[in-house]
Amino acid sequence: MEPPPAVGVAGLLGRPYKTLRLEWSSELRLLRARLAVKPIQCFSLSVMAEMRQVTDDITANPGLVRHLVMTSDVPGVFNFGGDLALFVLLVRAGDVESLKLYARRCVDLVWWLENAANLGIHTTVLAQGDTLGGGLECVMPFHKVIFERSAQAGFPEVLFNLFPGMGAWDFTIRKAGLAVANEMILSGRLYTAEELHYRRLVDVVVDDGQGEAAIEKVVQEVDPRLRGTLAALRAQRLAVPIRHETLMHIVDLWAETALGLTDRDLRLMERLARAQARKAGGGDEGAVEEIKRLELESAWGDRRTGFDRRATGGSDRRARG
Amino acid sequence: MRTREYKRIQESWGGARTTGPLSLGLPMPAFFADLVMRTDEDRRAFETHPVLMDAVANGVSVERYRALLLELYHVVWHFNPVCAAAASRLDDRWQAIRHFLYEHMHEELGHEDWVLNDLEAVGVTRGDARAHAPSAHTLTLAGYNYWAADRRHPCSALGMLYVLEVIASVYGGPFADAVRESLLLDGERGVSFIGSHATLDQQHMAELRQVLNRVDDREAQAAVVESVRVNFHHFTRIVEAL
Repeated sequence: MEPPPAVGVAGLLGRPYKTLRLEWSSELRLLRARLAVKPIQCFSLSVMAEMRQVTDDITANPGLVRHLVMTSDVPGVFNFGGDLALFVLLVRAGDVESLKLYARRCVDLVWWLENAANLGIHTTVLAQGDTLGGGLECVMPFHKVIFERSAQAGFPEVLFNLFPGMGAWDFTIRKAGLAVANEMILSGRLYTAEELHYRRLVDVVVDDGQGEAAIEKVVQEVDPRLRGTLAALRAQRLAVPIRHETLMHIVDLWAETALGLTDRDLRLMERLARAQARKAGGGDEGAVEEIKRLELESAWGDRRTGFDRRATGGSDRRARG
Repeated sequence: MRTREYKRIQESWGGARTTGPLSLGLPMPAFFADLVMRTDEDRRAFETHPVLMDAVANGVSVERYRALLLELYHVVWHFNPVCAAAASRLDDRWQAIRHFLYEHMHEELGHEDWVLNDLEAVGVTRGDARAHAPSAHTLTLAGYNYWAADRRHPCSALGMLYVLEVIASVYGGPFADAVRESLLLDGERGVSFIGSHATLDQQHMAELRQVLNRVDDREAQAAVVESVRVNFHHFTRIVEAL
């Protein structure tokens, strides 16, 4: 049984969320959603259900929210992406339907963000740490993407024989073009905030600790001209549309590919899960460092994509440590 | 692969689904998917417990690993008797599940000896292991599983199987790696039970999904869900107390 839609701000903020913290700024009608999936910040089934509830509540109260801002409550991590243990469980159980169900939930969120301008909402996201796989896919439909300088992001899925299936292709192609999408998705490598800015996937890069001020600046700039900005963003999406049908086809392909992962692939996924646990436990090294090790081990990167980084600009450099 | 009987069950059960409304407006998932979703927070509470996370990330001391194996010995010892208790209470309406439990018991036969072998490898004699008094958490876990098979619903045993196989097939591999690294163990020595079940239970997991998808009785489904929650809860307490 679905809970009834929330009514007004009190209803919106009054639900007992476990993995989200909501804050309301009445002056700007700004809803701030802080992701707090602790200790491992990923898109668990629980946070997906809670995000779904929030977006349903916003939709049920047209005109209430003018700005939606998303940030992370976990230091050093915006989001690790999918719940790796859940993936391993479902793949080992051969449960393609559940994999599809999980992926469709992720696409539901991405699709809602893609259409937020139609609801009169401007969206802003701030990444202050590791933003991997589904974490990066979630970021890309936001109208304004802010990264703090030390944040790193990428699509590591190809390292364990998978690909990012919840919007990565469509959104990367729209924002940065097919060559960049090929490079990022087929290499599996990680990118610095500057590198992502250079590729137009990130709109604003600020020094560490300046993210909050950057959000404030974006919102203050957009708010006086919100109607025009949203109309322009709606027109932008008409000019360069992303089709729900394509996202759903890709989800199905993703789930079927996941089902074919071998034990070796799953063990690599488990290595990343162990690395996430190390970082969550206060360790210096986490999934980002493990991905760099995997990159070195597989030595795929540029050879696979044929992409010559040196041709793209002097500020570009490999993220390897 | 299992016997011809099991293959027959697999073939007759493949692809079964129930229908009905779901909160997301999608078709009602098969029971296995429903079970995964309804107990996901219980699984994550186990996975993200600080003691387990630290063990997976950084390994364990030999003292803590011995303590874990000593508890595990008793958990494994009771596994087949619980399945037998459940099987004996399943009438012919549940014949296929009863037969599945027979097969499973056959495959798990003697696996408590693997735990004893691992204990010997880390310096605990078989006599000391057998004489070890299990913790209150382990006794509570075993007690619940006998009670549930007897009084709640015999299909509860499938919930116990689900938890054990999730732990083995999802977390067993990384944990075995962490133990090997921290205790400098070679190959399967000292981690034969955990390491081998990480591989063995991959096939078991797929088989269990098919079995669970045939549990279409609401009372039985509720009993399985409860059993999964209680088993994850007590396993977490066992790990926490190490």
